Amino acid sequence: MTRKAKIFLGVGIYFAILILLLVVLGNEGKNESFQPQNEFKLDPWISIEIAGIDLSINKAVLYLLLACGLTIGAMTFIASRMQREPNKIQMAVELAYDLTRNNITRGNIPDERLAQRWFPFLATLFFFIWFSNMIGFLPLPINTEHKIDIFGLEVPSLALYAATANLSIPLVLTLVVWFSYHVEGIRAKGFIGYLKSWLPPGLESMNPAAKAFIFVIEAVSQFARLISLSVRLFANILAGHLLLLFMGGGLAVLLGVAALGLLTFPLAFFFFILEVGLIATLQAFIFSTLTAIYLGGATAETH
Amino acid sequence: MDLFADMGAFLLAQAEGAEEEGGSFLVSPGLGLMIWTLLLFGITLWVLSKVAFPRIGDALEKRASAIKENIEASERRRQEAEQLLDEYRQRLREAREQAEDIVVRARKASETAIAEAASEGKAKREELVAAARKDIEAETRRSLERIRSEVADLTVLATEKVTRKSLDDADQKRLVQEALAEVDFSALAGNGTEDKA
Repeated sequence: MTRKAKIFLGVGIYFAILILLLVVLGNEGKNESFQPQNEFKLDPWISIEIAGIDLSINKAVLYLLLACGLTIGAMTFIASRMQREPNKIQMAVELAYDLTRNNITRGNIPDERLAQRWFPFLATLFFFIWFSNMIGFLPLPINTEHKIDIFGLEVPSLALYAATANLSIPLVLTLVVWFSYHVEGIRAKGFIGYLKSWLPPGLESMNPAAKAFIFVIEAVSQFARLISLSVRLFANILAGHLLLLFMGGGLAVLLGVAALGLLTFPLAFFFFILEVGLIATLQAFIFSTLTAIYLGGATAETH
Repeated sequence: MDLFADMGAFLLAQAEGAEEEGGSFLVSPGLGLMIWTLLLFGITLWVLSKVAFPRIGDALEKRASAIKENIEASERRRQEAEQLLDEYRQRLREAREQAEDIVVRARKASETAIAEAASEGKAKREELVAAARKDIEAETRRSLERIRSEVADLTVLATEKVTRKSLDDADQKRLVQEALAEVDFSALAGNGTEDKA
């Protein structure tokens, strides 16, 4: 039997089983009680309110705490026992450090003094977001909506969640970035000089009205960065988790077609590998790289 | 593709449902969470920039400088080795030249020694030959003298016998000299003086 025939046979058997299951299990009709979006709902676990602001501990805060603890713990642990001949984990951390230092920071901020100043911030952004994204793919007992009874102990069921899949977190990081690069730009060129530098070069001979129009566009684009930077991270992680949720069985449950699970599960596996192996790191890299680019652009001699 | 249509319909329905709730919690930012984020990110930034990054940076820098030093040291050593090798080669060449020189000189010396020895030998031989000839000549002359005096005595004796008269010494001598002057000894001396002639 040729390889081609084997593949066809395999795929054929797979679909035959799928159809068989479809026939046997049938369609139970749409499931109204299953609310997939509740996976992302933030129920306050410990309610705290200070000066009218809701500072309740919830799932997202737990993930932030985990990300903060893991980032600090892992990095200081590795940093405190740097060997001359590194093991594999140290080598990976060194690689990431080198990436943040030379590729992200120095690659986008030509001024060495400025790069030195902003390197800790950019590297922390990268590692913090990376750890946030990665723990988002560990099943943790955080689903308080559905509890499992283990020897009388009510344990929340295992679930996936990511702090970065909540808009507030990328948004506040983006705000920090946004104010930082404007402040650096004003510091480098003065307030008027900085605003002038928003105009692209080559417009010196243009009439003032057209210049003003372009300035407005540029100003809007500056504000658009607030949305693009935060939503890029948030939407990527949220979409990834939604895909995993649906492919991992959510769709089959929702539609009441159990046999669909057989079709979606391999896809869930594929998406999981994609998310963990690529998207989590890529989004952290993109976020910190764009921050470095904004900082470099705001302080560059010419626009 | 039904799957995706269903998913889309679901999301749309959720969005509508969210609108009914007055804004979906998926996209509505919460101030409390933002404050938590700022706080925890700030702590992370502070600890990493105070503890982790300087240490990692130091370790990397130390390693880089160690590697650089090693490379430089090995380069230095290589240069030294090359220098040594050159020196040794030079010395070897010199030694070889010297050896050749020595051989050449030795050959020359032996040749001159042989030549000297040969010439010396020749000179000595000639000297010996000359001495021998002189001896022979002297011996010949002495023999001639003896013969001459013998002849003279015999002549005197014969004359006395003939004349019965002895001559005084002076006459005798004169007579003998006269007689001997007439006698030709050249035939006798012939053997001894042949080389000289």
